[in-house]
Amino acid sequence: MGSRELGFDRPEYLLVLLLVPALWLVSYRTLAALGPVRRAVALGLRTTVLLLLVLALAELQVRQVSDKVTVLYLLDQSESIPRAKRELMREFVVEHVRRHRDAERNDRAGVIVFAREAAIEVPPYDDDIPNLGAFEAFLERRDATNLEGALKLAAAAFPEDSAKRVVIVTDGNENLGNARGVAAALAASGIAIDVIPVQSATRGEVAVEKVTLPADIRRGTPFEVRTVLQNFAAPRDEDPRRVVRGKLRVTRKLGRREDLVGETAVELPPGKTVIGLRHVLDEPALHTYQATFLPDDPADDLLPQNNAASAYTQVRGRGRVLLIEDVDHAGEFDFLVARLRAMNLELDVQPSNQLFTGLDELQGYDCVILANVPRASGSGTADISGFRDEQIEMLVRNTQQLGAGLVLLGGPQSFGAGGWANTPLEDAMPVDFQIKNAKIEAVGALALLMHASELPEGNHWQKVVAREAIKALGPLDYCGLLYWDDLARDTWLWGDGAGLMRLEGQREMMLARINRLTPGDMPEFDPSMRKALDAFQNVTAAVKHMIVVSDGDPIPPRPATLSLCQQAGIQITTVAVGTHGPPGSTPLRDIAAVTGGQYYVVDDPQLLPKIYQREARRVSRPVVKDLPNVAPEIVYPHEIMQGIAAPLPPLTGMVLTTVKDNPLVEVVLRSPEPSDTRNATVLATWTYGLGRAAVVTTDAGHRWAAAWTAWPGYDKFFGQLVRWAMRPASDPGKYTVTTDVRDDKVRVVITALDANDDFRNALRMTASAVGPDLDASELPIRQVAPGRYIGEFDASKAGSYHVSIVPAAGEPPLITGVNVPYAAEFRERDTNRRLLQDLASLRPPGGQPGLLADLDLNASNRDQLLEVNTFRPGLPKASRIEDIWPLLLFFSAWVFLADVFVRRVAVSLAWLEPVAARVWRLVRPPASAAQVSQRLEQLRTRKDAIAQTLEQRRAAAYVASPDGRVLEEGPGVAAPPSAPLPAPTAVDAAPPSDAVSSPAPSAEDAAYTARLLEAKRKARADHERQRKKEP
Amino acid sequence: MAIDAQDDVYIVDMTGRIQVFQTDGQYLRGWRTPAVDQGKPCGLSFARDGNLLVADTHYFRILTYTPQGELLESRTLGGESGTGPGQFNFVTDVVQDAQGCFYVAEYGLCDRVQKFAQDGRYLFQWGGRGRALGEFARPQSLAVDAADRIWVADACNHRIQIFAATGSEARLVGWWGEEGDAPGQLCYPYGIALDGLGHVYVSEFGNHRVQKFTEDGRSLGCWGTGGRRAGELSSPWAVALDSRRRVFILDTYNHRVQQIRL
Repeated sequence: MGSRELGFDRPEYLLVLLLVPALWLVSYRTLAALGPVRRAVALGLRTTVLLLLVLALAELQVRQVSDKVTVLYLLDQSESIPRAKRELMREFVVEHVRRHRDAERNDRAGVIVFAREAAIEVPPYDDDIPNLGAFEAFLERRDATNLEGALKLAAAAFPEDSAKRVVIVTDGNENLGNARGVAAALAASGIAIDVIPVQSATRGEVAVEKVTLPADIRRGTPFEVRTVLQNFAAPRDEDPRRVVRGKLRVTRKLGRREDLVGETAVELPPGKTVIGLRHVLDEPALHTYQATFLPDDPADDLLPQNNAASAYTQVRGRGRVLLIEDVDHAGEFDFLVARLRAMNLELDVQPSNQLFTGLDELQGYDCVILANVPRASGSGTADISGFRDEQIEMLVRNTQQLGAGLVLLGGPQSFGAGGWANTPLEDAMPVDFQIKNAKIEAVGALALLMHASELPEGNHWQKVVAREAIKALGPLDYCGLLYWDDLARDTWLWGDGAGLMRLEGQREMMLARINRLTPGDMPEFDPSMRKALDAFQNVTAAVKHMIVVSDGDPIPPRPATLSLCQQAGIQITTVAVGTHGPPGSTPLRDIAAVTGGQYYVVDDPQLLPKIYQREARRVSRPVVKDLPNVAPEIVYPHEIMQGIAAPLPPLTGMVLTTVKDNPLVEVVLRSPEPSDTRNATVLATWTYGLGRAAVVTTDAGHRWAAAWTAWPGYDKFFGQLVRWAMRPASDPGKYTVTTDVRDDKVRVVITALDANDDFRNALRMTASAVGPDLDASELPIRQVAPGRYIGEFDASKAGSYHVSIVPAAGEPPLITGVNVPYAAEFRERDTNRRLLQDLASLRPPGGQPGLLADLDLNASNRDQLLEVNTFRPGLPKASRIEDIWPLLLFFSAWVFLADVFVRRVAVSLAWLEPVAARVWRLVRPPASAAQVSQRLEQLRTRKDAIAQTLEQRRAAAYVASPDGRVLEEGPGVAAPPSAPLPAPTAVDAAPPSDAVSSPAPSAEDAAYTARLLEAKRKARADHERQRKKEP
Repeated sequence: MAIDAQDDVYIVDMTGRIQVFQTDGQYLRGWRTPAVDQGKPCGLSFARDGNLLVADTHYFRILTYTPQGELLESRTLGGESGTGPGQFNFVTDVVQDAQGCFYVAEYGLCDRVQKFAQDGRYLFQWGGRGRALGEFARPQSLAVDAADRIWVADACNHRIQIFAATGSEARLVGWWGEEGDAPGQLCYPYGIALDGLGHVYVSEFGNHRVQKFTEDGRSLGCWGTGGRRAGELSSPWAVALDSRRRVFILDTYNHRVQQIRL
């Protein structure tokens, strides 16, 4: 529905039409030779061409104005709104659209749901909203309200050909983005905004706002843990106090250990209440205090998400060290642990199956030692354990951003042999864990056979494990992947027929192809294992390994095939996923048993990556180098080696690495073997970010450095190594750091004093923060007062934030932490009516401002709110403009061609008369004989009369030339008869021989002839002039 | 896939559903097998009394359903995993001969065919994993002809074996097929069907086609090639004929059925 009208975008060009009379004037004269009819036609066409061109220049447009209305409902699905109300919104919108949408007008309705981000639930279309029983759009996080994002999405989702209105159903507590700015832009573009408010919570609500602790606590000194709680309940007449009763529990966390500080009953009147608990700390470390409120009546506290808050405090003391050892080789480093403890270092040992879970746990330590720890440990499915990617990231951030030391001690499960290649840990260390030297035969070959298509999300998991395996291999290792392709063949994913390819330069290609991997249901194992066997026999590798993941239902390989694998030294590890009892699992177990591989039964696919990491380590074994009792050489006088002189005790083994090509790397000890010094590093160090990192590629005395345990320099070497790497201690007296969380931001305030307690000014502080997602961000620090510096960073996500501040160049970093206990979504409790009013009052040009409903949306107000017609008029009508100047230009070209045709081509109509006569004869019946006779008599009489007249005229008008040629008639002379005289129509027309029998001219005739000739010359001259004037 | 006397098409799919369609594809009814956590059934056929026999592969048993989907529990065959008589591995197919005896094909720990009396009593078995004649490597599908001969699609041996098993033991009476993709060759024959006119139809999982043979193994023609468009196949698991001898192909990885005349 709608109307159409014409308009011009450049109407000033219409003035050109004033030239039309001039065109007519000029053309009328110049087209005179065409005759009156052709001239009139040509003039008309010429005028039309000009008119079309002018309309095209003026950009003639067709405007279609539509009466249609499109309403988009923006439904706030953030967690600040109770679930029941979120569901109510859906039902409300379905009913609202059903009631008010004008189907005849083809009105459209759509739904957008939003929280931290927005998503289209129902795109705008001309029908009622289907009631699907639940929202289908996926909102990943609901811990924030991003009204701006929802409005932007709505603006993009509106169709062009209708009037537009958004209806926002929200509590208005936006904590992400700025809705006002976007709403103004929407209104300016003709979109009206209606708002239906939602009250966040109708019942009581209590939140733990924060926990405050002294910034720096001394050992043994009592201090108070203060918890700030807020009761949001408003006093009522029947219950003016509205006290909420419950318990406040405060705990202290140190690493994985959690102790109860105190639990007390509390009564909270409306507003804020501060509860203090006294406590004493003896253990030097970074401690985390958490306060939790537990209401006696759950009805008093609607949202449990905001019932806890925490804070850090640091107790200064001796340096603390965390040593992580492989759970499969527990106790290997007991000697080193004992010696370090004897050197007054506080050292905790953590097995690799009980790893730290958060960055805050690491903050209690100044140095972390990974002592011959593989990335994944365990010998079977039940005890498989290892580092998650986030834990590796935490180790790196702990050093890079927070200044802690990181030391890797060697062993057969470490570095490349431990599966650490291509991890962020490798980036943080001064050596690469892969051998990039072809002269060293540290080559393994790994074939992956994929048949896990029946596992839930099997395709995904097969890709995950394939990637993990490839990441764990070195550049000179070989890798291949076999699968049953969609052409029903056992196929290598890369390497054409060869299958196994070196990873060097091919790793990215392999990872890219894995993304496209879609293994099918392999009927039998034998052909693929034969392929793998052939491929292994064509490569020179010290270790040949194959991993088969399957549900076990392909036909097992022939015994001969397994025997050949065994003879070729190929170990086959089988991973049984979703096997269907003994018929599936037994063959897989047998394959592993025959070839010496490992057999895993996996019920939880999450374990698969660790299994593949662990299995890929078998291929990395060649990076372990046996040494013939050689003593490492001191190649750099590092402070670790202070007081230690050569010769050092001999070593019997090490892990090969490649020293990083970086000037920060200091290689301190090097083995005489291998000959390439890049791979012979025994001890290397560097500074990584704010922290220090060191690698020792041999062990600490258990196996390869057994001779070192009796060495008098043992304590000094390892003691100085660890102390060098440890995070330097700052002087607590000079700086005070406090943090404060407000409006999704953490404010860090530093007070700097010098030794005389005078303010330190103009310090160039640098700082960075690491958030709960381990993303690091720079934190600009500015001085705001004498000795006072402030920095601020975004903290929209709940969790722990760690801040490191370097007060001045060369000074040790200050480390602090702050906890954002819950998202801002749970702080605001009241509907933000002011914002909602602002949005609804925006007036689109040519339309009416929106409405802010007086009532909140709830079950009792639902029917009244349904009366509000959001499809009502008052919106700027949508118009669609279509430019038609290209069409005008096209037509003008054709009309111009017609104009040229009329002027240049004289169309004879002589054929019309005979045709017409013939038609006439056909349509009129022939006359009767009497009529014919009478008519013939009349014609004869008439003919004789005419013939007589013509004869007289001919005698008077025709002139014969002296040479007997007939001249054409002069002006004003009638045309000669067509018969029996010849037709003298052209000057050069040859006269018939009998046409020159006219008598000789007399003197009077001669004078007359001369006049005629003169008249002829004049007429010809006029004719020539006329022709030259024609365009 | 199996087609009953009324030309209704029964299909078991990767979700464990048994669905019944008309030959024009119109859905009639459907049901699920009792459990699918371990895996899904794969073989269907009809007993002489018109009931549906389901090879419940990963539960090591044969289920019997009425055409309307009612499970006749008393007629369940097997259910115990093992290699002994009456125990099963991965059962792939079941057929019933004119005397009412059941033949069950299986693979896994042993690849064999077991014969049972009409009352479910174990009679004998033959086969065993191997490449020699009379042995099997994944006997994926069975068919029984008018003479009660048992036709076995010996999938991973890429051949068809024919047995006379009406007596006290099975006797190999014929075989044909070799691995390859030329006409007359086979690549993982997963499905077999007989038209009663001396023709054998074989669906080839590995060659994405259906091939028509004479009973002595002479190829009469092939239909299909790998692909996703109409007329193309992706690893067909089964082939069946209706009463008008139209050929229905279970185009497995295209998740559809195609009907042809061959």
